[in-house]
Amino acid sequence: MNTRDERISFDVIVVGAGLAGPAAAMVAARAGLNVALIERGQKPGGKNYFGGAIYTHAIEELIPDFMNRRPPFERPVTEAGFWFLSEDGLTRMTVQGGKLANQPADAYTTLRASFDLWWTEQAQKEGVFLIPKTTVVDFIREADGQVIGVKTDRPQGDIYAPVVIICEGVNNLLTQKLGLIEHDLEPAHLALGVKQVISLPPETINARFGLPDNDHGLAVSVLGDVSLGLPGMGFVYTNSKTLSVGLGVMLSTLAEYKLKPYEVLQRYLQHPVIAPLVAGGQLLEYGGHLIPEGGYRDMPKLYTGGALVAGDAAAMVNALHWEGTNMAIIAGKLAGETAIEAHGRGDFSSKVMVGYEERLKESFILPDLKQYRGFSHFLDTHPEFMGTYPAFLNDALGDFFSAYGRPKMQLFKGMLGSLTGRRSLPRAAGDIISMGRAVLGW
Amino acid sequence: MFHALVAVKQVPDTTNIRIDSETGNLVREGVPAIMNPYDAHALAEAVRWKQQLGGKVTVLSMGPNSFISTLREAVELGADRGVLLTDRKFAGADTLATSYVLAETIKAIHEQDPIHLIFFGKQAIDGDTAQVGPGVAVRLGLPIVTYAVKIREVNLEEGRAVIERKTERWTEVVETSLPVLLTCEKEIAEIPFAPLPDLIRSLRYDPEMWTMEGPCNFELDQVGVKGSPTIVYKMGTPPLPQPGEQINTRESGIEEAVKFAFDKANKAGIVKLILGGAR
Repeated sequence: MNTRDERISFDVIVVGAGLAGPAAAMVAARAGLNVALIERGQKPGGKNYFGGAIYTHAIEELIPDFMNRRPPFERPVTEAGFWFLSEDGLTRMTVQGGKLANQPADAYTTLRASFDLWWTEQAQKEGVFLIPKTTVVDFIREADGQVIGVKTDRPQGDIYAPVVIICEGVNNLLTQKLGLIEHDLEPAHLALGVKQVISLPPETINARFGLPDNDHGLAVSVLGDVSLGLPGMGFVYTNSKTLSVGLGVMLSTLAEYKLKPYEVLQRYLQHPVIAPLVAGGQLLEYGGHLIPEGGYRDMPKLYTGGALVAGDAAAMVNALHWEGTNMAIIAGKLAGETAIEAHGRGDFSSKVMVGYEERLKESFILPDLKQYRGFSHFLDTHPEFMGTYPAFLNDALGDFFSAYGRPKMQLFKGMLGSLTGRRSLPRAAGDIISMGRAVLGW
Repeated sequence: MFHALVAVKQVPDTTNIRIDSETGNLVREGVPAIMNPYDAHALAEAVRWKQQLGGKVTVLSMGPNSFISTLREAVELGADRGVLLTDRKFAGADTLATSYVLAETIKAIHEQDPIHLIFFGKQAIDGDTAQVGPGVAVRLGLPIVTYAVKIREVNLEEGRAVIERKTERWTEVVETSLPVLLTCEKEIAEIPFAPLPDLIRSLRYDPEMWTMEGPCNFELDQVGVKGSPTIVYKMGTPPLPQPGEQINTRESGIEEAVKFAFDKANKAGIVKLILGGAR
């Protein structure tokens, strides 16, 4: 039994070694605080999954010389944009050069298993004490509700600290346990991301994606005939020796149409335009993860006495811009700063913890999440952006660049007809306005 | 005071491996390293006896610095002391050279602190040789109990133990003098979920690093590549077994199917063999 003298205690406990957790821990440890970072997996990153790419602005904010520390990046993102798929065609809208030629790049394709390990090591270098293979199951609280520690799943598993930063990820059971969010997550606000990591020789990747060498990489969002015309978005990322190819579909959609996620992914990989890109590759990994796409409307209360919430647990995801990892890192940093302030003032009550929310308001995180609060709902209610419009775009461009020996006016009328046949002009105009509203937050 | 020594090896998690199709070698990149599962079960049994009798458990391993994580895991599971034999000169050892280095080290540890039970896993899941444990026993002139599934009794005063071992047909119960060397099956003990204080101690634990320089003296020509007469000629994936011919009884009817099978057996000379045996 732990007597009061022997009990395990730290200045700060951080729950979860994803992206937010190590950021919070790193910042607090740098200020001289004794920080425990608790991770349920064998190793940091073991349970984490994303599309993806990592944005460097967030990393740089915590580690200005990050490039000297050999982060396990795959390739810089030197070309990014959208691909629009019709049933058998593809229109690409990507950008390269300009800002995408920055050194170091603004984003790098990455695999989480290696990146999160490195990210946590940077925190350990600042003195953070990593406790792996241990799951936090509940909190230790004072009679007035103030959080003063956590209970883990291990025997004699209580750990005490006046500040607990919860970075538990999308499955936010602890956040619920604190009463910071009342309801369980709703399927309509959760996307299931599934992807395959497919191994191909780097030269083949370069040739297939038009990349000049291994120091160039592509990151695209794929719209259209990806998810059977249902709300969902595909993606393709080129890694050093692999491709990350997958898609995200709302859980509610999967349930409603009784779709198996791997069937949708399989169909996407067999698309006549996608199939040749992955042909001959060896499947190394297949996996999936939930993404909290509810955004602002799904955010829990972000603090209570002795506790803060950051990252996916707080629904910090901007689905349209593929932002989430950067928000998690910056939110982690702000939570760490709040913990430092609380220790400085010797006050761990909500009065000081509220400073975390104020910091988030001053950053890009809360303003962005607020602005895009309608986007998830917009996608849900406008499936034509996933089916009709990408198909029309492919047809229209195909027509435009073909010669049929007919007067051009006929061609244009045909193109217009091909749109209005799918969606009436007033409705199309309405769609555009809805999208504007969803993005601009009106 | 009771003292058990457990030899542990770090292995790639073979539930998770790939074979390079060109070279036939194991792709180690990105494959998680784990404690050999049989060793982990053996360690759990050693710790269980320590908890009953008092005393201590020492773990021993040979390998590069990366094996420190496996010795820490052993401390998490209840070991008190960890010794890592690490030296470039030990590298490339086969089972002969490995058993030499381990045996010499165990002798040295035994002199410091007499050992009663020496535990090995029945084999490592990467090499699958099951040779190192028996090799060490022979070198030390100790009794050996292979495929141990249960330790019924350990009597330190009388210097004897009763151990159950699995054979292909039955379980043998053996009584042996101490010290004894066991190689263990997984049934020997369940791996416990360590209490948090043990985990925290293990994360801060640094094992003792023993090298060619000491504290043991090793003969240079008996360690590492020099001490290893084994030569790996070729490595590869065995071809997948081809399925035999099949006949659908619903289409052909049962009589036809039996005749088909009988003809095949007859042609292969099996029928004659069986009938011959019956006579």
